[in-house]
Amino acid sequence: MAAQTLAEAAVIEGNYSVAFPFFGAERRGAPVLAFTRIDSGKIYSKTQVYYPDCVVVLDDSLLDTIDVVSGLKPEGFVVINSKDVPEDIDLGMEVQTGAVDATSVALEILKAPITNTAILGAFAKVTGIVSIGSIEEAIKRRFGEKLGEKIGERNALAARTAYGRVVSGKSMGVKRLEVKKQWLPRYQEIPVGGALVKGKTSAGLIGPGSFIENKVSGWATFRPVRDREKCTMCLLCWLYCPEGTIIRISDKGDLMTNYDYCKGCGICANECPVDAIKMVRARV
Amino acid sequence: MKRVITGDHAVAIGAKLCRVEVVPAYPITPQTLIIEHIAEFINDGEMDAKFMTMESEHSVMSAAAGASAAGARTFTATASQGLAYMHEMVYATAPLRLPVVMANVNRSLSTPPGIWIEYNDSMGERDSGWLQVYVEDNQEALDMIIQSYRIAEDKRVLLPIMPCLDGFVLSHTVEPVEVPDSSEVDSFLPPYEPDVFLDPENPALMGMLMPPQYFMEMRRQTDKAVESAKEVTGEVNREFAKVFGRDYGGLVDTYMMEDAEIALITIGTVTSTARKVVDDMRRAGKKVGIVKLRFFRPFPADELRSALSGMGAVGVVDRSISYNGGGPVFGEVRSALYGMTMPVINHLAGIGGRDVTEKLIATMFELTLKAANGESVKPVIWHETRGESL
Ligand code: SF4
Ligand code: SF4
Repeated sequence: MAAQTLAEAAVIEGNYSVAFPFFGAERRGAPVLAFTRIDSGKIYSKTQVYYPDCVVVLDDSLLDTIDVVSGLKPEGFVVINSKDVPEDIDLGMEVQTGAVDATSVALEILKAPITNTAILGAFAKVTGIVSIGSIEEAIKRRFGEKLGEKIGERNALAARTAYGRVVSGKSMGVKRLEVKKQWLPRYQEIPVGGALVKGKTSAGLIGPGSFIENKVSGWATFRPVRDREKCTMCLLCWLYCPEGTIIRISDKGDLMTNYDYCKGCGICANECPVDAIKMVRARV
Repeated sequence: MKRVITGDHAVAIGAKLCRVEVVPAYPITPQTLIIEHIAEFINDGEMDAKFMTMESEHSVMSAAAGASAAGARTFTATASQGLAYMHEMVYATAPLRLPVVMANVNRSLSTPPGIWIEYNDSMGERDSGWLQVYVEDNQEALDMIIQSYRIAEDKRVLLPIMPCLDGFVLSHTVEPVEVPDSSEVDSFLPPYEPDVFLDPENPALMGMLMPPQYFMEMRRQTDKAVESAKEVTGEVNREFAKVFGRDYGGLVDTYMMEDAEIALITIGTVTSTARKVVDDMRRAGKKVGIVKLRFFRPFPADELRSALSGMGAVGVVDRSISYNGGGPVFGEVRSALYGMTMPVINHLAGIGGRDVTEKLIATMFELTLKAANGESVKPVIWHETRGESL
């Protein structure tokens, strides 16, 4: 949505723009990647962006697992949702960076940790590629059309607020992230028909049970906390959790949430009929 | 009016502008946005059509055929497994001469399961009698919905048509699209008025058993209709260009072919990226060009022969595989070029959603140039496929 809104803003200013999600499956709460290209003339390239001029990071917890500046041009920009000032943000690359606590902006103005509009305000301030006026106009159009004028305006205000609060500077370039190895077999090495039994490769486990290595807790903005007093053990949360993270310790006994695999989507809290689950900020 | 919209949105707007009357629908990624947008248009009173939520794609195409047989302008959309599931009714629709328009958002057909682009869903329907056109951007996606009805409903054609767009690469990508005025579309596309339709007042039989003494004539009739679509496609393109100012070239489109020494035959969005690669290679003094295969049915054999005459070599990009035979486009192109002597190289790439980058397309051009220079090049190349060498 942020990528599309940025494209709209660029077109408002008379440019051509294309925006698209990473061509992959999306899961609620999972990290996503989207691209925007902006040019004065028609854009023909229909491929993903490998060498960006600017990287926008909506969640700074991703810095622990993903090399967000991969391919970024040295003279490029980073716009990041963070409580820290650029000088305290280690991107593994010293680069012009604008930081804004977009999550707080969103919680204040939108009452939800949806940061994709606020961050665009910061983008306008840091890069100057589009004006804040066009960003506001684009947000009002896209969100207004879908969700009504009021919500459009509130989101535009979130962008305007982030525009005012962004702190510019240079990021730190100390960290060297270990790139997560991927198993990339030749076609001759893939088991016949792609039928995988439990196994191990140089890049980690494969086959049944291998997802145990895929800890997703780092994505969570919120995590669920259950009030045992209120809980009636109806098991709806257990049933609805898309990650299978809520575990029944015994048949009549208690429930436990394995926070290593909880992505903080909040579905359990939403489904609980007696409001026994509260979502609390995972990191402060 | 210029709008920044996805390919799916553009297709839905196209259907709205065509004053489609019946839309049987069943969701499937990456097509679902199309029918969602249409459902919204109808709900908001912007579109006056009957939206039928069906229990499967097989029923979708059955309902589409029924609605079209009753004389209604009919639209639906599908992808991948959905198209496979309606396969039986897809085959039924064409010889009945029902001008249904169905957008297919290309997605690989399982297995392996995937949601990304491959043309093995629509190419598997190439013998069904449906016309097929592949588009390279969202503007063309919208425009081809409008042109599709003109082509399909032409009395010389009367065939269903499948405008195909690349899953995600277009369906979920926003870019500026000029949305034509509804009044202009109205004058370009008059209402559908079939000579014969299912009408209780004037009963007609459709789809009767055809014993052997009629069968081959029926097949030839459909075959002839597909052939006639070639001429009609050209006419519709020219008229569209006059009214709306966008000329797509007809069955094929060419780019920088005037003095080209080799050509790449492209289909879908690869064409768009390849245009940029051609510009870059031209700056480096390499005389390369593109022939964009727009229609796969009717297959433009003559048009390809004349566009490619004199080429030192021809590369054919395929985004699906006809096992052990190279890609389906390759097979047909080589057959169309029978008797011509240049090497024809098949470039298999981007299957199942792997990104077809500018660098990869440049490699295809380079290898095709090599073949033109008499160097030995594999006839079927699996690009960027681990375990395969170039
Ligand atoms: S435990 Fe709750 S918040 Fe965590 S993944 Fe499951 S449903 Fe989502
Ligand atoms: S849904 Fe609520 S009440 Fe039911 S088991 Fe879960 S926490 Fe307890």
